[in-house]
Amino acid sequence: MTGVRAPARPERAAGPAAAAVPRGMLRIGRLVAVPVRRRSLVIAVVLVALIVVAAVATLSMGRLGIGPGRLPQALLGGADGKEAFVLERLRGPRLVVAVGTGAALGLSGALFQSVTRNPLGSPDVIGLGAGAGAGAAVAALFLPGVLPVPLGALLGAAVAMAAVYFSTGTGFRNPGRLIVAGIGVAAIAQAFTQYVVYVMEREAATVLAAYVNGSLAARSWHHAATIWLVLALVVPAAALIARRLDISEMGDELAQGLGAEPKNTRVAAVVLSVVLAAGAVSVAGPIAFIALTAPQIARRLTGGTGAHLTLSALMGALLLTVADLAAQQLPTATSLPVGIYTMALGGVYLGYLLVREWRRKRL
Amino acid sequence: MTSTEIRTRPGGAGTERAGTARRVSVVVAAVAVLALAVVASVTLGSRPTSLGDVLDVLSGDADPFVTTVVESRYPRTVLGVLAGLCLAVGGTLMQGLTRNPLADPGLLGINAGAAAALVAATALLGAQSGMGVVWWALAGALLAGVLVQGIGAAGGGSGVVRLVLAGAVVSAVLFAFIQAVTLSMPEVFDSYRYWVVGSLGGRDFAVFRAVLPFAVAGLVAALLLSGGLNSLALGDEAAISLGAHPLLIRTGALIAATVLSASATAAVGPVAFVGLAVPHIVRALVGVDFRWQIPVAALAGPSLLLLADVVGRVVMRPQELMVGVVTAFVGAPVLLYAVRRMKGNA
Repeated sequence: MTGVRAPARPERAAGPAAAAVPRGMLRIGRLVAVPVRRRSLVIAVVLVALIVVAAVATLSMGRLGIGPGRLPQALLGGADGKEAFVLERLRGPRLVVAVGTGAALGLSGALFQSVTRNPLGSPDVIGLGAGAGAGAAVAALFLPGVLPVPLGALLGAAVAMAAVYFSTGTGFRNPGRLIVAGIGVAAIAQAFTQYVVYVMEREAATVLAAYVNGSLAARSWHHAATIWLVLALVVPAAALIARRLDISEMGDELAQGLGAEPKNTRVAAVVLSVVLAAGAVSVAGPIAFIALTAPQIARRLTGGTGAHLTLSALMGALLLTVADLAAQQLPTATSLPVGIYTMALGGVYLGYLLVREWRRKRL
Repeated sequence: MTSTEIRTRPGGAGTERAGTARRVSVVVAAVAVLALAVVASVTLGSRPTSLGDVLDVLSGDADPFVTTVVESRYPRTVLGVLAGLCLAVGGTLMQGLTRNPLADPGLLGINAGAAAALVAATALLGAQSGMGVVWWALAGALLAGVLVQGIGAAGGGSGVVRLVLAGAVVSAVLFAFIQAVTLSMPEVFDSYRYWVVGSLGGRDFAVFRAVLPFAVAGLVAALLLSGGLNSLALGDEAAISLGAHPLLIRTGALIAATVLSASATAAVGPVAFVGLAVPHIVRALVGVDFRWQIPVAALAGPSLLLLADVVGRVVMRPQELMVGVVTAFVGAPVLLYAVRRMKGNA
């Protein structure tokens, strides 16, 4: 996550402000030179700083927290028994999972929105989360002990995506159809999940209901390894297609003329997006709205066009880390799954966004 | 969403006479299907009874056990008729009004509103009785419906994706609230998870009596507005020149649709897709004249809901599949089919 993405695109948003955007080259050694906009770079640095602040807060707040003063020493191996437990078992893995999952969701949303050319297209909206919930329900009800719940969620998400893809008749191309088909598939999935929650015992039903919201409670290093492995596989591929993706946003004919192969690029981006979202689901359950909001905020911060992959990933990591901090530290009766916080905040933000777009007659 | 693929305007006058004969036969058929659905709802169930048993019960000389079984099916049958009518007519109004073939009360925040009010009432006041639940659900559903319409209309005009997304936004926030409360309070969770699947079972006549006035008011309003909706379908200017008041008609129909949908949700819980699918079927059968659409929807909705309920009772005997699950599994494919037929970019 260290590189700065190449935004070397012909600026579509014409105007003096766009033309005057300062550009520079980020050089790593002699071979690598990545053109960056200075503004994007500054935002990226600020986001990383904020993630670090949120991470420190996550580790140091509350009754079991390790004070910020003790933290560097504890991290370097000087942790005593209690601190080691908090760091290695309790909050450490959870934090690493939160950052990785948030980044995966943000990147997934950015890819998806770029492909659908739809600011509201996200794996959330088109039923991936609901499918994951139904898959988890299947695993919990029919195959308890045989099929692990996260794997069930993964399969459910895949089935839901396939159902949406084939029921639109145009694949993922048409945003309106995509959303409506997603609603249909999500409705079936939700009805099924509700049925399972209905027939289960109360205890098991509560556990399933919490999982279906997306939770980061009790994550292990195993989960952390999973999501970071997914990121390690997908991020280089995303970096490879990033430029073509930006060009593809300008329309098929132009992109074809520029050699960006828009159709192949789009398919690749959707596949990467779904892999990321599925990876996130498998470690944290269906967490709502991060994939939708992170790219939106990133886009507004930079004010430019294009997919903003790096910034979206950073923004997703920040949002989920902060939401999980709230989930851990807010004084609620029981600790609620982080998915509830992201759902509430994301819903409010989406509403604000919609009203604003409609005022400008852009939707 | 262009309105080309689903005709929302009355057709030419040339087909009028043949159309009327056809429509009358559709109405007769719809009445017959409804009668059949009612009989099936009373006769079939987890404990099979024959038509003879039911006739015996009606004449008063069946054995007490059979009488109890059959009579236990009365409330759910009556409620099914009422809820089906509300959902179908509400959906017809909503689709006609927004010229949006996907408008369904379930997509517009009404269910989330009812559920949120219910959860809040159970958590704060401990409202446990069946009747308290109905009133809270009704109030919550109405509030959420108004809120979604408000956000949806914020930019002026009306778009398909816009309303659906406004519904998604309001639903998301309300569901976050619902989840937060239900996961913290196990007792609330218990009553919530039984309500949210949408079921005709376990309710008594008191629920029916509570919701009946709202349903009747909504239906009467819908019938009164049907002529106005026809002229509105020609466009606002044409409607005004025909002596109609577009704003009045639109507001009235919106209120009627919200009241109808809210009554249904309050009575039986959220039931998806009846309000979405029935108007499509009805339009295919009788065309776009609202003076026919609304009565036929009022006949077809109850049939669909009752048949779904019967299917739910029979498929997993002796267990029962709730009607909300059955309608989602039957209705969602209908929605997906409608998506395939959408043209352009929606």
